[in-house]
Amino acid sequence: MSKRSQFGRKERVFGYSVIIPYIAYTAIFWGYPFVWMLILAFTKWNFFSKPSFVWLDNFLKMFTDSVFLQIILNTLNFLAYLIPMILISSLLFALALKRVKFGRTFIMLSFLIANVSSGVAYSLLFSNLFAVNGPVNRIFDALFGVTIPWFSDPQLAIFSICLIITWKFLGYYGLILYAGLQQIPQSLYEAAELDGANGNVLFWKITLPLLNPSLVTVTVLAIMLTFGIFTEPYLITGGGPMQRTTTFMIYMYDTAFKRIDPSYATTIAVVTALLSYGLVMLIRKVFEREVSFV
Amino acid sequence: MKRVASVVMLLIFVLTAFSVKLTFWTAPNPYQEEFWKIMVTQWNKQRPDVQIEVQTIPAAGSSEEAILTALAAGNAPDFCENIFSGFGAQLADIGAIYAFDNFGTDFTKLVQTRKMASIIEKWEVSGKHYVFPIYSNPMLFWWRGDILKQLGYNNPPRTYSEIYDLSKKFADGKKKFTMQVISGRNWWDRWYDFITYYYAATGGKTYIDTAKRKVTFGDATGLKIANFIYTMFQNKYTAVELGTNPFYTGSILGKITGPWEVNQAKDTFPKVVPNIWISTPPVPDDYPKDKPVYTIADSKGLVIFSTCKDKKAAFEFISWVFSNAQNDALWIEKTQMPPAREDLTTNSVFAKYMEDKFFKAYSSNVPYAVPPALITNTIDVNQAMSTHFVEPLMYLKGKPEDILNKAVKEINKVLF
Repeated sequence: MSKRSQFGRKERVFGYSVIIPYIAYTAIFWGYPFVWMLILAFTKWNFFSKPSFVWLDNFLKMFTDSVFLQIILNTLNFLAYLIPMILISSLLFALALKRVKFGRTFIMLSFLIANVSSGVAYSLLFSNLFAVNGPVNRIFDALFGVTIPWFSDPQLAIFSICLIITWKFLGYYGLILYAGLQQIPQSLYEAAELDGANGNVLFWKITLPLLNPSLVTVTVLAIMLTFGIFTEPYLITGGGPMQRTTTFMIYMYDTAFKRIDPSYATTIAVVTALLSYGLVMLIRKVFEREVSFV
Repeated sequence: MKRVASVVMLLIFVLTAFSVKLTFWTAPNPYQEEFWKIMVTQWNKQRPDVQIEVQTIPAAGSSEEAILTALAAGNAPDFCENIFSGFGAQLADIGAIYAFDNFGTDFTKLVQTRKMASIIEKWEVSGKHYVFPIYSNPMLFWWRGDILKQLGYNNPPRTYSEIYDLSKKFADGKKKFTMQVISGRNWWDRWYDFITYYYAATGGKTYIDTAKRKVTFGDATGLKIANFIYTMFQNKYTAVELGTNPFYTGSILGKITGPWEVNQAKDTFPKVVPNIWISTPPVPDDYPKDKPVYTIADSKGLVIFSTCKDKKAAFEFISWVFSNAQNDALWIEKTQMPPAREDLTTNSVFAKYMEDKFFKAYSSNVPYAVPPALITNTIDVNQAMSTHFVEPLMYLKGKPEDILNKAVKEINKVLF
């Protein structure tokens, strides 16, 4: 008996009508771009001409591309600031939120507003706020007689952008950690307290180890976020000073639309995706632990 | 009579229904938009068979980005203005624009009528004309005459040493700086700082040998400019960031700008405008006093895209606008920018505009305004100039001579 006969005509029509929209959607919005991406990565195209096959030229070009190598270092620099800043601030936010008795939802929503704000709008806002003669520097000048080159010093520019990104994602990542904290059974703390554990021990021996899945989730999300930074440096620093805030995304965009080289831009996208995937897997392998509350 | 009216009405209806509809993108500048809206309204009334819709180039990092994005997405307009010569060359290289030479004698006639035969020569790409130049802005320095007078000056500083002397009197390295030495972080800003200084110091010599595809500024003059930029930053006579509107607030005494800022300044800072002194860019100390000082020409033109629905109709509109000198007079009135014509100082149509100090200064410098080098990878070259030359000088990362030598090497790599 063939498998096909297991279903009646009506059932088959119903089945196909359910899956066809999904398959069509996937084919158009995922399959087609994916195939086009593969074609572009191995060809040379300028939006107008026919793509010409260049084998691995686009990939080999990267090894001699000093800007690409600089961007790898820039990304590591961003990660060095962003990961600790995001983890510490979101953890503090989650711990504080747990202690709040009234208006918790209001506080959570207030912090989430930053997350849904327009990147362009807040980038312009911060750009003016931290300008050399902006309000922040005016306060510093009045109090200490110094101004801080927030966006004009190469290292400070990276730090300032990380500060803005942390502000944006603090509420979102804080909420993930807060959900993790809620999952830790209260009985574990009570038992430990009976055994004489103080607050310090509770945090390092119970909270932090049991929060591992949430912390790893936030770290993974933050890594992916770092590889995708675009709006803030593009609008505030333009990738400078000294190309120190140029990110993969900015380089891809510039290569495709300023240098009219979408093939090389696609190749950069492929390699960036592989790099971020590799780093995520590494972080998971090193830090991820199986947690059980039983 | 009724029958004739009905036929006319029917004809108009048919012409409008079957008319060509062309999209025309203009620069995101309110004064230019105003000019083009007047022109297009007049044209649309006269030619119901060729209707034009004016749109501003969409907001993006630059007009070039917006146009390239539109081209890639297949949403390009039929024709567009605000195209600089280098970008024109880049677009021609990828076959995105249509050469005006294809219109044959009609194009030649238009060039003659508008008195721009020698101007258009500088816009030639591979023996063809893809961009129709609209205006040519010599970039000049504006100085705060009121503050300079208080400091005992009757003229703006001319040489690097004069700027150092002025700096010793004015700059405090915290809130007061002599001038904006570096124009900004964007790739196009290099036209308005280093390349301008180089044209000024060399009598308009090109900074890139386009035939050999090699940098020419790695010479003694290039070093003098490198030393000037370095000295200004080292002594805090200028700064990387100067804040918002530093010229108008009096934080700096001088800056480079084009005539597009005149109307804006008159509207926003009417008290400062009468005190503005205009000068050519600063030059090295040994530059002869009697020799004209060259500067960069911020020139923009018009292109017809290869995808244009009706190229002939687009050219008819362009020809209609630029065959009439009165339209160029209206352009001056609205934008304050000198049209790309060779008869500005001799044609009586433009005589009244010469009474304006700004227009007079800008138009009289048109003969000494040199456009950027015509290369297809302008963005990469200017970007490399920022990364390997201007920024290391600003951040004092090494000796000016070493920075210059390294920059020459790096930019040559980009060119080759």
